Amino acid sequence: MEGLIVSNVLLWVLLVAVAFLVMGLVRQIGVLHGRLAPAGALMVDKGVAVNEAAPQVTAADRNGRPVNFGYAGEKNQLLFFLSPTCPICKSLLPAIKSIAREQAGRLDVVFISDGDMDAQQALIREHKLEHATYVVGPEVGMTYQIGKLPYAALIDKSGTLRAKGLVNSREHLDSLFEVEHLNSATLQEYLNSQPHPHVHSH
Amino acid sequence: MHLDPIFILASALTLAVLLASAATHKVRAPARFAKQLADYQLLPYSVVRPIARVIPLVELMVAFALLVPASRRGAALAAGGLISLYALAIAINLWRGRRDIDCGCAGPDQAQPLRPVLLLRNSALVGLALLAGVAPVARDLGVFDSFVSVAATAVLLLVYAAADGLLANSPLLLKLIGR
Repeated sequence: MEGLIVSNVLLWVLLVAVAFLVMGLVRQIGVLHGRLAPAGALMVDKGVAVNEAAPQVTAADRNGRPVNFGYAGEKNQLLFFLSPTCPICKSLLPAIKSIAREQAGRLDVVFISDGDMDAQQALIREHKLEHATYVVGPEVGMTYQIGKLPYAALIDKSGTLRAKGLVNSREHLDSLFEVEHLNSATLQEYLNSQPHPHVHSH
Repeated sequence: MHLDPIFILASALTLAVLLASAATHKVRAPARFAKQLADYQLLPYSVVRPIARVIPLVELMVAFALLVPASRRGAALAAGGLISLYALAIAINLWRGRRDIDCGCAGPDQAQPLRPVLLLRNSALVGLALLAGVAPVARDLGVFDSFVSVAATAVLLLVYAAADGLLANSPLLLKLIGR
C-alpha cells in the first residue's frame, strides 16, 4: 500500500510537469504565430504614396558630402537601393549605369546601401562606381520604408515621388520611367499589365 | 448519485480558478469587455455597460461560493448556467453568421474568432460544473486526498490552458497556410 501511494504521488507530480510542458509549447507556438503574422501580410507597396511629395531627407554619401532627397532641384532623381549581399542588385548595376549615362543631363542616380563598409568598397571597385553618388546608411531606406531589394524610386524635379517599386530587371527599371511618362499609373499597375512580371523577393 | 469527494473537489477548484481568472481579465479592462459584449449584439446599447460591470462580479461570487462546501452545489449550478449562457450567446452569433467577432473568452493576448468548437469547449466546462454539483460520498479526507485534488486541479487547469491556446492558435495557423 505504501508503494502504491508513493507511485501515485510520483505520477501526479510527473503529470503536472508534463501538463506544464504542453502548455509551454502551446504558448511558444502562439508567440511564433505572433511573430510570423507580419511576414504573411508584408506589402511591397507600402510607405510613401506615388504622385505625392517625396519625404525630404538628407544623408551623407560615402565621402561625407551631403545628399538631399525629395527636395526640388534641377534634375530628376533615381534612388537605387542595393546591398552588397544581394546578387540581383549587382546584376542590375550595368543597367543603372547605362541609364545614368544616357540621361546624365536630366537624371541624378543615387546608390543607397547599408551595412559593412569593406563590402561596399569591394562592390564599388568591382562595378567602377567610384564617381557615382553612393550613400551608405539606414536613414534613406528607413524614410522611404524599403523592405525588399533591389528597390528603386524616381523623384521628379519638383520633389514629387513619380514611381517606385521592386526592380528585378532592366524592364522593371524602364517601367519606372514609363510610369513617369504615363503620369497616371503606379508602377504596381504597370507591372501587373506586363506579360511576365518576374517579381522575386530578396 | 454520489461521487467520491476528490472528483467534486477537483472540478469545483478548477471551475473556481477559471471563473476568477476570467473575472480578473474583465475587471482589468472594463472598456474592452464592454466592447466585446456590445459586439455580440444581444443587448440594447444602454444596458451593455452596466451588465459588463455586473458579469465579472457574478463570476467572482460564483468562484468564491464554489470553494465553500455549503454553497458548492448551488454555485456549481450557477456556474453551469453562466457558461451555458455564454455558449448560447456564441451559438446565436454563429447562427447569425457573425464569426469574425472576438470571442472575449480569455485574456487580451488570446483573441479568437467564434467557431463551433467553442461550443464544444463550453459544454465540457458545463460537464465539469455538473460534476462539481453532485453530492459527495461521506468519508473522511486525509492529506493524501487533498494532495490528489490539488494535483488533479493543476493538471485540469494546465490542460485547459493548453487546449484553449491550441484553439486560439488554429485560426492563425489556417491564415498562415493560406486558407
